Amino acid sequence: MRQLLNGNEAAAHAARLARVEVLASYPITPAAPVMEKITQFIAEGSLKCNFVRVESDHSALAAALGATMAGARSFLITNSQGLAYMSEVLYHVSGLRQPVVMAVVNRALAAPHSRFPEHGDVVAQEACGWVQLFCENNQEVLDSLLQAFRLGEDERVRLPVMVNYEGYIQSHTRETVDLPEQEAVANFLPLVRRPVLDVNNPLAVNTVTGPELYIDYKYQQDAALQRAGEVLQEVSTAYAGLTGRDWGGPVTGYRLEDAAIVLVAMGSLVSTARIAVDALRAVGEKAGLLKVRLFRPFPAAAVRESLRAAEAVVALDKNIVYGAGGALARELRAGLYGLATMPVYSYILGLGGRDVGVEDLTSIYRQVREQLGAGTTPAPYQWYGL
Amino acid sequence: MELINSLADVPETELFTGGHGGCRGCGAALAVRQAMKALGPRTIITIPASCMATIGGSGLSTAWEIPFYHSLFECAPAVASGIRAALDIQGIKDVNVVSWAGDAGTADIGFQSLTGAAERQENIIHVCYDNETYMNTGGQAGSITPYLAVTPDTPGGKPTPRKDMLAIMAAHHPAYLATASVAYPLDLIQKFQKAGEIQGFRYIHILAPCFKGWGIREDQTVQLARLAVECGLWQLYEEIDGRRRVTVIPERRIPVREYLRLQGRFKTMDEAAIAALQAEVDRRFQEVQS
Repeated sequence: MRQLLNGNEAAAHAARLARVEVLASYPITPAAPVMEKITQFIAEGSLKCNFVRVESDHSALAAALGATMAGARSFLITNSQGLAYMSEVLYHVSGLRQPVVMAVVNRALAAPHSRFPEHGDVVAQEACGWVQLFCENNQEVLDSLLQAFRLGEDERVRLPVMVNYEGYIQSHTRETVDLPEQEAVANFLPLVRRPVLDVNNPLAVNTVTGPELYIDYKYQQDAALQRAGEVLQEVSTAYAGLTGRDWGGPVTGYRLEDAAIVLVAMGSLVSTARIAVDALRAVGEKAGLLKVRLFRPFPAAAVRESLRAAEAVVALDKNIVYGAGGALARELRAGLYGLATMPVYSYILGLGGRDVGVEDLTSIYRQVREQLGAGTTPAPYQWYGL
Repeated sequence: MELINSLADVPETELFTGGHGGCRGCGAALAVRQAMKALGPRTIITIPASCMATIGGSGLSTAWEIPFYHSLFECAPAVASGIRAALDIQGIKDVNVVSWAGDAGTADIGFQSLTGAAERQENIIHVCYDNETYMNTGGQAGSITPYLAVTPDTPGGKPTPRKDMLAIMAAHHPAYLATASVAYPLDLIQKFQKAGEIQGFRYIHILAPCFKGWGIREDQTVQLARLAVECGLWQLYEEIDGRRRVTVIPERRIPVREYLRLQGRFKTMDEAAIAALQAEVDRRFQEVQS
């Protein structure tokens, strides 16, 4: 069934179709409408779910964790300050290997205070051990959330998943979204209970762990996160069998075959970059695009494979790791390390909602082509559009 | 419900067993052991950062015979809320869900999630085992550390009075509220029995001395807990739907001086301060007992 939905509505429908059993969330702009929509589903009886009306984002994730440990499928929504406030709980959820799914409606972190989009909130949580997926449009928000439950709950993974989309650009902008049938989703996403806190099988969870065990747990956790990249490909393929929509695995290339300069982006910039690539191709430029769908685990092998034939790479970062540059650029450089002389040009742009249009991306492309032609060494990173 | 009326009738089964990592004379371990006698095996407990979160297990060993989760400091009542929501959606009705925190996990760093859960009238039991200091990190002062108590970070005595946590929790109108003491095990066990029968948010505050923090000998834990009741500083009562019932009337009233002078932490209190505290205790005793 096709409907005109904004990103938040798409996320809420995904939660309904996934038959989430516990929703624990605290209202935050611009994510709050997801919570309102789901509580509306609960009120009208189209979703059987217990809503825990927590007093903070910290408690939201704590409650979702408790619910998942007690065997329920749990969901929540947050962003920005709320995500930062959850930080220590994020580590508990991943360390305990609990498949909580969270929609993150990306928004800039204060100070200065901002209500507008960028990826700084989720990039700040890069080390927390969650799978981090980015979506370029509202259909992908719905589809990725459904895939997130299956991915996180997979026996080989058993990890929490964040599904990212941008505030306002996606959360409040309507697009046509195709909703799969409930029955089909139920087959794709069967409810399997694996309670950790179970009176019939009592376990002590998160006991004090000394040096003789801690690092081994961490090895297993990291190995599981790495496996998530492989399982994502399987899940995407299975989902394509259900709906005909295949968002690919960790990365997807666009017009890469003979591309000389490849733009690399995550989130809503991907759609803009696709149009920019078409515009550049129309005037004879050998432009290409690499969409990074999976930020954690970072798919370095897939990135290397996709970019092997390129002359240069342009990282478009809607985030700044202060004093270090863009997170995507850093990952690309690390992932491409050893690949001869592949230069990575790094641009910081669009922070706090600063608009980035097709012309901005074609302009960046031309700047890079000139620098490449002049044989200059790429700067560690540069700001665009100040 | 048949209340356990003699120590001989207390179930022998231990759900918090021997071999735990608590100090000899640990008031917190006593409180848990007694409470578990009433709560029984169909209980899920979550305990935030505290001595109690660590002494029940280490590495691959545990003293717990029930599901136990060592949660983050701020959020045991929120975790318990999530557990309850999950059990409800699965139709599991006969499990006690308990968040069990120290004074910091209840009144200070954990207060936000506690007041949230209490306001929502979550169907959980929150327990505060109160040793009146941040004992897991060496005994620093917190908001319900008594006035003038000497701690590592209040070496001249704590400059502010203890926050009235019971009044704060009573203001949430819980379904059940009680005070308890490790020196009165039958009273404590009966209160957990009642709490287990009642639906809604339940709050039990247990005075559980820590010999180290209090500057007493390890064999004086129960003695001091009893003296706290006998001097009237710690009164044992319960409130159901806001109606208070005193459950233990001390057989003899002793001056607070006798209680204070046994402890190292009140060594800087002078007679004037003790007299002022005595007056306050007398006033409060009248108020509660009447």
